[in-house]
Amino acid sequence: MNLLQDLTFSSFMWFLSGAVVLLAVVLGFVTYAIYFERKVIGWIQLRKGPNRVGPLGLFQTVADVLKLLLKEDTIPRNADRFLFILAPVIAFVPAFVVLATIPYTSLLQFADLNVGLLYYFALSSISTIGILLGGWASNNKYSLLGGMRSAAQMISYEVPLVMSVVGVVLLSGSLSLNTIVEGQAGGFWQWNILPQFVGFIIFIIAAVSELNRTPFDLPEAESELVAGYHVEYSGFRFAFFMLAEYVYVYAIAALTTVLFLGGWHSPLPFLDFIPAIVWFILKFLSIVFFLFWIRATLPRIRVDHLMSLGWKVLLPLALVNIFVTTIVIELIKYFK
Amino acid sequence: MIRTEELLLNVGPQHPSTHGVFRIIVKLDGEVITEATPVIGYLHRGTEKLAENLTYTQVIPYTDRMDYVSAMTNNYVLCHAVETLMDLEIPERAEFLRLIVMELQRIASHLVWWGTYLLDIGAMSPFLYAFREREMIVNMFNELCGARLTYFYMRVGGVKWDAPEGWIDKVRDFIPYMREKLDEYEQLVSGNEIFLARVKGVGTYDAQSAIDFGLSGANLRSTGVKFDLRKDQPYSIYDRFDFDVPVQTAGDCYARYLVRFEEIKQSLRILEQAVEQFPEDGQIMAKVPRVIRPPEGEVYTRIESPRGEIGCHIVSKKKPQPYRLKFRRPSFVNLQILPKLLVGETMTNLVTILGGIDIVLGEVDG
Amino acid sequence: MKGIVKGMGVTLKNLTKKKVTHQYPDVPLEMPDRFRGVQHFDPEKCIVCNQCMNICPTDCIDLIGKKNPDPEKKGKVIDTYDINFEICILCDLCTEVCPTEAIVMTNNFELATYSRDDLFKNMEWLNDNNTNVRKENSINIPPKKAKKEEK
Repeated sequence: MNLLQDLTFSSFMWFLSGAVVLLAVVLGFVTYAIYFERKVIGWIQLRKGPNRVGPLGLFQTVADVLKLLLKEDTIPRNADRFLFILAPVIAFVPAFVVLATIPYTSLLQFADLNVGLLYYFALSSISTIGILLGGWASNNKYSLLGGMRSAAQMISYEVPLVMSVVGVVLLSGSLSLNTIVEGQAGGFWQWNILPQFVGFIIFIIAAVSELNRTPFDLPEAESELVAGYHVEYSGFRFAFFMLAEYVYVYAIAALTTVLFLGGWHSPLPFLDFIPAIVWFILKFLSIVFFLFWIRATLPRIRVDHLMSLGWKVLLPLALVNIFVTTIVIELIKYFK
Repeated sequence: MIRTEELLLNVGPQHPSTHGVFRIIVKLDGEVITEATPVIGYLHRGTEKLAENLTYTQVIPYTDRMDYVSAMTNNYVLCHAVETLMDLEIPERAEFLRLIVMELQRIASHLVWWGTYLLDIGAMSPFLYAFREREMIVNMFNELCGARLTYFYMRVGGVKWDAPEGWIDKVRDFIPYMREKLDEYEQLVSGNEIFLARVKGVGTYDAQSAIDFGLSGANLRSTGVKFDLRKDQPYSIYDRFDFDVPVQTAGDCYARYLVRFEEIKQSLRILEQAVEQFPEDGQIMAKVPRVIRPPEGEVYTRIESPRGEIGCHIVSKKKPQPYRLKFRRPSFVNLQILPKLLVGETMTNLVTILGGIDIVLGEVDG
Repeated sequence: MKGIVKGMGVTLKNLTKKKVTHQYPDVPLEMPDRFRGVQHFDPEKCIVCNQCMNICPTDCIDLIGKKNPDPEKKGKVIDTYDINFEICILCDLCTEVCPTEAIVMTNNFELATYSRDDLFKNMEWLNDNNTNVRKENSINIPPKKAKKEEK
């Protein structure tokens, strides 16, 4: 890709409009992901979920966001004003930027970086700095604890997360997400989830932890730290933290689809007549549903267990996974 | 220059996991608690002092509001004390009704505990499942006495209402339904590895310190002490029923969880027998003078509430009002061990331990 | 992992089950007959015996009687009758002691207001609150009536 050389005014406008469309899609997703989450959890808990605003409660999230935007913007007097304002931005921007490399179909992708995977992990880790900053700048003890937990969790789980996908990278021989998907064409037995099942499990656990969602929602841990790092945030700054969280849900669900579930490829070859994007969306939604489902079921894990799970279980497992994958690949090569 | 200092954190009185207006001042070293000071009294209404100017019947609605999760047992302890002082014979049917509502109340109370405890630990759904079943009990109480929380069902000498038509059958149908749901609860939570890791070995104390602190109820039985007033000092008609007292020896939060869970099953057993033996007909009120003037003297009665030993001490001067009324409130007594348990634990365990003790702030503060 | 998977199965099973919530403000809640709601007061029946005021554990009832305007009749009639629902705990004692069922419970329970002052209900309001009146009220009265009928 020679992006910089081709950058004319028209191509710039093209990229800009693409980004705006993506932002609209993501915002639409977040709006209805929150609605869907509340509905699913409601159904699981024998409730109806939101049903007051609009038909079937479809405008509930819109109303909530509107409320957040109209709220008075409060900044605690003793907070570090600059960082307090900066933190939600730092949390949100990387969440949106990482979406650029996700390939939805073989044609629909914004940037096919040859280091796409690396780019994703590198940028997504910046968000934690936003959370940490927000927790610190609020000058609140609960948020400080939440922010610190977030940093510790992030460091512990970034490592197994990256390690778990090394197996996938070894199999497809590329860091480009597009190439990884191409390598999984031709039916579900080609998907990385089968040869890389251990990697998949580690990836899911580490990813949920990265998302700070139940059962790993320690940084906000409602019953312990009230709301954790965003205790002092309200109005649209809070909305940005919320938005960042759900954009990461989007990103992780899309990434899991791409890395392990064969991206846009149909599970059986004779189903190819169904458009590729439909397959992508289906797989993507099932991952999202899975996230909501575990949120409704599982209790929160404890900090020290979280750490020992990350370092003592997931990381060794991921390393063994890489090791075994390498040996198998080499053996296959050798016997061919 | 890096300097570390202890963090003084006010947990509560407005905090999602303090189960009401309870405050703990904790000193944190990182996330580890080095000192914990509970502060109580935010819900103090002075029930005992108010009672000195009220007749005995008027005091009963105040007891509803002490341990508002289990109002029936509170009603009972006061009525029982007055009846003991007056040497009243309670009609059979009234005793059965009292026993049935008290056991239903125990189930309802444990369900509330179960739901909120898991909410504290971070699981959302169990809370709503528990409240679905509790709702059925509460609706039964609503049909019986016209209120869903503050029942004011018992009177000195009996109960206010007889069971409406078909009510006993509802209780009978509820028993197998609840058993089925308990299996579901067990599947949902009791085997969950995250849950087990959170509660096993947390907040452990031994039998001696439990006795030293005067703990009662599940908090005591989780340490291996088999002490249940329904068995050891039977009141009402508990001696007629066959049930076990669940005991665990570990003394941690998981043991308390198991004890309470098993208590629900035992309550169902008692209910099953009580519903079968329920007398066809009979009075629901003993012959009680219109103005209750117990003879001069003192009495202390104690019963097993869902939270432990609830006692009532009355000093009577042969007046319609008690001269002095004192409640031994199990939540208050059980809470005393909290500062000792919290030292050296993390913030996360604070919630687990506090929830495991099962306090109701209305009762702690009196 | 086994326990977690089992738990996930339970929640998934509940996903499709019938919902147990009430559509409360849209569908009114039906309370059983014995439900202790806001009282209904009938001034015609009241004999100003003050029993309800005396028994009230929170002293939320205030009443004033006056001489019967009809000089031929003895006794008093009620002049003002107020219940302060800020402190009324709906304990049912006033209806229990009332010898004439002048004050009875209803099944109405919606007391939410924007101002505390609105919770102070006077005689007219309590008289107008005459829907869903409870059938069984004073525990003392029904058996006596039954005995009279037998005679």
